[in-house]
Amino acid sequence: MQELDEHINKVKHLPPTPRILPELLSLLNKPNIDNTRVVSLIGIDPSLTANVLQLCNSAYFASSSTTCDLQEAVTRLGFQTIYRMVAAVSGAKALSAPQKGYGIDGGELWKHSVTAAVAAQLVAKRSGDDENLVFTAYLLHDIGKIILSGALENIYATLIQQTQANQQCLLEAEKKLLGVQHAEIGGRLLARWKFPPNIVAAVWFHHSPANANPHQRLASYIYVGNMIAHFMGHGYGHQAFAMKGRAESLEILDISADLLPHFMIETFEQLQVIETLFHLSG
Amino acid sequence: MSTPPIHVFEPKTVIGIAEMAVSTREGDVLVTYALGSCLGIAIYDPVAKVGGLMHAMLPDSSIDPQKAALYPAMFIDSGLPQLFRAAYTLKAQKERLLVYAAGGAQIMDSQQFFNIGKRNYEAFSNLLIRNDLQIEAEQIGGLVNRTISLNISTGEVRLKVSGQPNEVTLCKS
Repeated sequence: MQELDEHINKVKHLPPTPRILPELLSLLNKPNIDNTRVVSLIGIDPSLTANVLQLCNSAYFASSSTTCDLQEAVTRLGFQTIYRMVAAVSGAKALSAPQKGYGIDGGELWKHSVTAAVAAQLVAKRSGDDENLVFTAYLLHDIGKIILSGALENIYATLIQQTQANQQCLLEAEKKLLGVQHAEIGGRLLARWKFPPNIVAAVWFHHSPANANPHQRLASYIYVGNMIAHFMGHGYGHQAFAMKGRAESLEILDISADLLPHFMIETFEQLQVIETLFHLSG
Repeated sequence: MSTPPIHVFEPKTVIGIAEMAVSTREGDVLVTYALGSCLGIAIYDPVAKVGGLMHAMLPDSSIDPQKAALYPAMFIDSGLPQLFRAAYTLKAQKERLLVYAAGGAQIMDSQQFFNIGKRNYEAFSNLLIRNDLQIEAEQIGGLVNRTISLNISTGEVRLKVSGQPNEVTLCKS
């Protein structure tokens, strides 16, 4: 455990903390949402405010008139939409840098995260589960890769060779070569940032959702969303498909594998939203 | 004094997911990125210098006929016949058409619950067999994301594999 923390401490350039997300998420779950508190929380960060307003006025969300007032944006679009915008903007900031150790170019990790977040959210919507929670957990699911990328940079040839030669999944190869793997270290980082235990568990176990007790459902959404994003070409880097099939994720969510193509089609239809969000990283 | 390097930019037509295009324009390069478990299918008639490229997402249109009507290239079974027909309108002939394919990546899934890549390729090869067509060259399956391009002037089909720095030639006509 201490070793993992040392791994996090060693990294010089951690992404900026999406620190307002846990508090916003808790506000979201209260019966009467306090708009003023929401506006003041977002308003602490001027660049975040600017990005939210930019997104609010983008082709996808814009109504007839543009706004440059955060309070008005919150009233107009509703807190749910604003929350997802804030989550998306924070995610873009944290995830847009290239991660050479994984063969990930600039923006790719972000694109993958957004596509998968939208896919997982669609799956959650069908079951009536909390879409915002799924969306947030998803945006941050691979944040551990940012920490491990530096360590992998010099040994990625070995990593590829191991996954190919032994039919070993990426997670196992990381564990073997580095002693840690990205899902676990991502969960640990989010715990340090005081994200709620369900998000921490879901990120920690997003490659083995059955172990995320008692948060298997959230972890399974992440697992399935991850699959859909990969199928649709929004995976990335070396050996992107070196992941284990976890049929239990479908059982936990009580969905049939036959539904996966339908979720792919729905995600395809959301690509316009996804494209709008992509531009945040630019 | 050494000669300064000259950069040659090819005009590229990008084919998105669930899209297809045919071309006979000199110098045109059709390209489709990030195939994942999707299938990139290229066809080329070296005599007429006509080529086409499609990025299909799923094997079978019967799951959503309305979507197939809107986006035929979303599915192998609705897209492939249209791709061939579009090439015929540009004077390609079936017996001269060379067929290439890339994509269909698969995760490590022994139970086969997440086997979209494999099913895409099966639908494709069954359709070719039924229509008495053969694959000229392909790079299918595995754990990688691919990009495929077709040069309309030369018929050259190139592949870029995610995480690897250089493109490789799948086939030179």
